[in-house]
Amino acid sequence: MDSLNQGEFSFSNDTIKQDLSLLIQALDSSISGIILTDNQQPDNPIIYCNKSFERMTGYARHEIIGHNCRFLQKEDRNQKERLLLRKAVEDGAECVVEIRNYQKNGTLFWNELYMSPIKNEQGVVCYFIGVQNDITRRKKAEMELLHQQEIMESQIRQRTKSLKESEDYLSSIVQTVRESLVVLDPAFKVLSINDHFLKTFKVSKEETEGKLLYELGNGQWDIPKLKELLENILPTNNPVEEFEVEHDFPHIGKKLMLLNAHRIELEGQYKDRILIAIEDITDRREIERRKDDFLSIASHELKTPLTTIKGYVQIMQRLMPDSADDKFKDILRKTGIYVERLNSLIAELLDMSRIQTGNIELHKEEFDFDKAIHEAVENIQAATKTHRIIISGKATNNYAGDESHIVQVINNLLSNAVKYAPESNEVKVYLSRVSNFLKVAVTDAGMGIKIEDQKRIFDRFFRVGEIQQRFPGMGIGLYVCDQIIKNHGGTLWVESEPGKGSTFSFTLPLEERNTNER
Amino acid sequence: MSDKTILICDDDEGILDMLELVLEETGYRIVPVKNSLHIYDEIEKQNPDLILLDLWMPVLSGDQVLRTLRKNPDTRALPVIVISASREGERIANEAGANSFLAKPFDLEMLVNRVNEMIAA
Ligand SMILES: Cc1cc2nc3c(=O)[nH]c(=O)nc-3n(C[C@H](O)[C@H](O)[C@H](O)COP(=O)(O)O)c2cc1C
Ligand SMILES: Nc1ncnc2c1ncn2[C@@H]1O[C@H](COP(=O)(O)OP(=O)(O)OP(=O)(O)O)[C@@H](O)[C@H]1O
Ligand SMILES: [Mg+2]
Repeated sequence: MDSLNQGEFSFSNDTIKQDLSLLIQALDSSISGIILTDNQQPDNPIIYCNKSFERMTGYARHEIIGHNCRFLQKEDRNQKERLLLRKAVEDGAECVVEIRNYQKNGTLFWNELYMSPIKNEQGVVCYFIGVQNDITRRKKAEMELLHQQEIMESQIRQRTKSLKESEDYLSSIVQTVRESLVVLDPAFKVLSINDHFLKTFKVSKEETEGKLLYELGNGQWDIPKLKELLENILPTNNPVEEFEVEHDFPHIGKKLMLLNAHRIELEGQYKDRILIAIEDITDRREIERRKDDFLSIASHELKTPLTTIKGYVQIMQRLMPDSADDKFKDILRKTGIYVERLNSLIAELLDMSRIQTGNIELHKEEFDFDKAIHEAVENIQAATKTHRIIISGKATNNYAGDESHIVQVINNLLSNAVKYAPESNEVKVYLSRVSNFLKVAVTDAGMGIKIEDQKRIFDRFFRVGEIQQRFPGMGIGLYVCDQIIKNHGGTLWVESEPGKGSTFSFTLPLEERNTNER
Repeated sequence: MSDKTILICDDDEGILDMLELVLEETGYRIVPVKNSLHIYDEIEKQNPDLILLDLWMPVLSGDQVLRTLRKNPDTRALPVIVISASREGERIANEAGANSFLAKPFDLEMLVNRVNEMIAA
């Protein structure tokens, strides 16, 4: 083919030559690679390539012409696209493939190849034309997308799996808890219940799920207090905790129930569903009540002979002649002290039991707080020879609370301050007001409390190790104090440094200014 | 020293004995009643000036006795000091119409002072 000379078409006619040179310029300015192969020669060599093909492949023209175009595949010869191309070449057919090719420097590029035959009048395929586009960018994006998709799919599979797992996990928890659980839709229809509910209320799943709560078991769940909770309280006080409902069920009898109710506020398919957890506290209450009764009786019975003993000890003290032996006087005095101790132990025991079961009754009445504290201090002072109790400051002369309980708190704090500061001789009580709280602080210069013990001293029966042997006590004084202060809406805390002393303080909220500010 | 009579009603013998010992020393005439069912008879017979009354007693409790006394015009004004080891004692006593309350175990000096006050009033 002498018409192709160095990639240039050469014709004898000048105008044709001019047209051709325009055509070549056009081909060279294309951004697609364009080649021609001569199918009539062995192995279909490239006989023309444009500039863009050189740019795209990184090869120079002289490295291209004469080669079969497969050189672009380098060692990557097992692509299925290669087979497609071979087939198309054999069949003299058109084809479009996306094939991995490599630039001269080894860089991979994705080649979108459009190949088509050029036939002569007899239908023989003489040439092929190939148009190449570097689609690496697009391909990369596609691949990334695909990869991303794969990752996503596997994540979704994973999530679905773990969702399923956690669903199973959750439902096994729900079925295992020893508390009845009910899920209601916004119209109070029962969506689901757990096994414990079935057991406690002796019903079956079939007669419960899908039914309206109030219509369950011939309306035995149509409980006014429950209605009040669901219809009036829950809408404005979500969630509601520890709501007590007592009800006499036809078959299972009177039940005392503690309810937690939670309306789901989250947008979505669960919105406005209501979860109710029901704890059956019937038996617990009964046991608590019996224990309190028992302790009340026990303490009463213990105090009765104690009254007689105390009386006789006092009579002995009175009858004792001045001439009596000092040792004898001392023994009698000590007997009196221990009778007193026994008495307060009995009282504390009862208090603790009641506080623990929440049965401590507060008799809230207005009283002169500062006066009560002053009196309590005077009483303790009268019985304390070793320490001087110095009281200062002012809190309020009008506080609504349980005076005897508050006095008990100050007594306990003072007795500790004296007891655990044997080497000092002063205890300070400071009354003050902070914002809308009153505050009482009792400071001693005693042995102090290590930081790690400071929280635990408010626990029942906790006593600091080294103290156990040296000082009498049961370790319930501070527990009782803490509960009393909490019951009044206040807080009790300690600040202390070992060897320096301790300050026990409590605050109590003052009624919001409905009594005129003094 | 005085011709006043004090009736003590308590189901516990030890307390009756001990109170008798203390209060006789002060010169009052003491009428101990162990069974609260007999208290109305004794009141009628002995015509006491003051009653020391326990609360928790078998069959007839102190607050029941006190309520009955307060309903009866003859005994409505009779001074009564309730003595009890019950924690709710003070409230129960006040509600039933007691003139005074002392928690067991009480201080003897306090008891004697209280008795003297009541009788003087
Ligand atoms: C006009 C034309 C252009 C071609 N362009 C390319 C190309 O750019 N990249 C490539 O890998 N193969 C290209 N081929 C395909 C290879 O030349 C060859 O036909 C293919 O690898 C199949 O043959 P084989 O199995 O003998 O290698 C082209 C083929 C023709 C006819
Ligand atoms: N002012 C204080 N200084 C040092 N340690 C204290 C003080 N107050 C309390 N503690 C420590 O806290 C512990 C608990 O005190 P709490 O009053 O509860 O019980 P207790 O005094 O041991 O016995 P009781 O029940 O008779 O009061 C005490 O045993 C003591 O170790
Ligand atoms: Mg203590």
